[in-house]
Amino acid sequence: MDDLGEQLSEGHKDDYDNGIGSVPGGSGSNGKGKSQRTSFNDFVRKLFLILESEEYTSIISWSPDGKNFIVLDTNKFTTDILPKHFKHSNFASFVRQLNKYDFHKVKRKKNEVSEGIQNAWEFNHQYFRRHDEAGLDNIRRKPSSQKKILVDENSVIVRKLGGAPGDDGAFIAGDEEGMTAKMLLKNTVNKTKFNQLKRKVEDMENQVQYLTNENHNMKLDLQKIQSKYNMALESLLSTESFNSQLISNFQILVDALSQQGLKVPVGLSFEKGNSRADNKSHQQRQISDSTGSTPNANIPGLSVNTTLQKQEPIELLPMDQHPVLRPGFHVLLVEDDSVCIQLCSKFLRKYGCSVEVVTDGLSAISTLEKQRFDLVLMDIVMPNLDGATATSIVRSFDNETPIIAMTGNIDDQDLVTYLQHGMNDILAKPFTKDDLHSMLIRYLKDRIPLSEQRQNSNNDPKAYVEEPMLKKPHI
Amino acid sequence: MSQTPRIPDKVINWDILNEIVSMDEDDAGFSQSLLIQFFEQATSTFNQIEQHIKTDKNLDQLGQLGHFLKGSSASLGLQRIAWVCERIQNYGQKREGSGITDDNYIQLIQNSLDLARKEFDSAKSELGQYYKTQF
Repeated sequence: MDDLGEQLSEGHKDDYDNGIGSVPGGSGSNGKGKSQRTSFNDFVRKLFLILESEEYTSIISWSPDGKNFIVLDTNKFTTDILPKHFKHSNFASFVRQLNKYDFHKVKRKKNEVSEGIQNAWEFNHQYFRRHDEAGLDNIRRKPSSQKKILVDENSVIVRKLGGAPGDDGAFIAGDEEGMTAKMLLKNTVNKTKFNQLKRKVEDMENQVQYLTNENHNMKLDLQKIQSKYNMALESLLSTESFNSQLISNFQILVDALSQQGLKVPVGLSFEKGNSRADNKSHQQRQISDSTGSTPNANIPGLSVNTTLQKQEPIELLPMDQHPVLRPGFHVLLVEDDSVCIQLCSKFLRKYGCSVEVVTDGLSAISTLEKQRFDLVLMDIVMPNLDGATATSIVRSFDNETPIIAMTGNIDDQDLVTYLQHGMNDILAKPFTKDDLHSMLIRYLKDRIPLSEQRQNSNNDPKAYVEEPMLKKPHI
Repeated sequence: MSQTPRIPDKVINWDILNEIVSMDEDDAGFSQSLLIQFFEQATSTFNQIEQHIKTDKNLDQLGQLGHFLKGSSASLGLQRIAWVCERIQNYGQKREGSGITDDNYIQLIQNSLDLARKEFDSAKSELGQYYKTQF
């Protein structure tokens, strides 16, 4: 029967209509008078009367032996009988009510069922018999319906207190009352369990407290990060405006130079197009300024400077105050043309550098992975891998070594590309000995060759010289 | 190198070559060996250009060969050869405008190659006089 109840479950809205509330009416014992009896199983009595009257035998009737009753036509029962005699709105609700009074559905095997009543519902209760009105007194709602009573500590106490005066006064403890009390006691929580739960709750409260604190801290951190971000953004913006100022100043300078008859290379442009490259060199400038190196070596738009120096080497060189290049710098020459290799390495050796030559971009990368160099001179157009791409790969593991592009292609778009790939400068081909020298001065002046640094650092760690101008942020 | 509209007047830019010649002080015969090396390189590059013109007409390859020889000739001060090589490079990259067909570009490169060989010969003879030798 339980499974039936579940199958038809639809909520407990039918509790109201059984004539007794979930709280027992304080009666139920035999011989209390008819009015009292009807108050606790009115539902069953109504059903009994309908069956006895044989008014609806085509819908509901006793079984032939009178021990069960059968609902022959559930549809008609729902439409004709339920609204008239009961408060149930549907058949399922009616069945649930029966269930609560401990009626059982009788299951018949198929062959036992006579034709026409396959869909009939047959119910049985041991005290519900044809013509046996007295038996009805033994039918009552199952105590399980008492689950409805809220079982928490407070209600238990209330019921206990309520039960006490009942002993000597208005309350007569009947069977039902006793069962209820047992039920309630069964549902109470013992002290150990209570303490366990209490501890659990306390733990959880602590955890909540901890999480709240953590959340608070994180919010604070977030605020800090946000303010830092804002500061960074501001400084970036001011850098940009400073940068554009520099560009316009530079433009003026170039104009002035060309007015004085100096040939300025065609296609020099410092408009928005190469602002990224400018930005880079600008950042480089700021950083190297802060580390105290001479700004001379870090003028933005380096290629222009190169060309100017080439044209007016005598005027510009004295400004370097007789720069001295230490001997012993180790230079990697990346070049595929044998004539250029010989020429360039000749010049480099003349300036006291040792030279290692590789002839394509891939070898350049693998060589730089194994060994550090003071400077790299890199051709652009080469087999296997071009110099710009090779540089951008080298920059993924080496952000310090200066890499100078050697190229005959000096369109301004190309120049921007080279700088964006992480090349520090451009040495336009064909270059003279002096062009090369000023490039070496720009990047190696004030520096100690790596080989010498290694020797020194073995003896005295303090002698290690940082390379200020090479800490170029790579974007 | 910005594009020079006209071919330079002089075969050799002596400002550049003199610098290389000055290296001979430490290393006798340096400049001469470099020039010999260049002549070999140029001859083989010309032949490669010729091959591409005759066979696959690969403009990309032709442009790269032009670029390659431009670099070494310019670094030695052989400026007229360098100028012609730059033309070949530009034709290979189809930089003369969209109205020109690939076949036209091949023809232009062929013309430039002929010019380059002429310039090559005049450079050889001028340098031969300077070094008092036969290259």
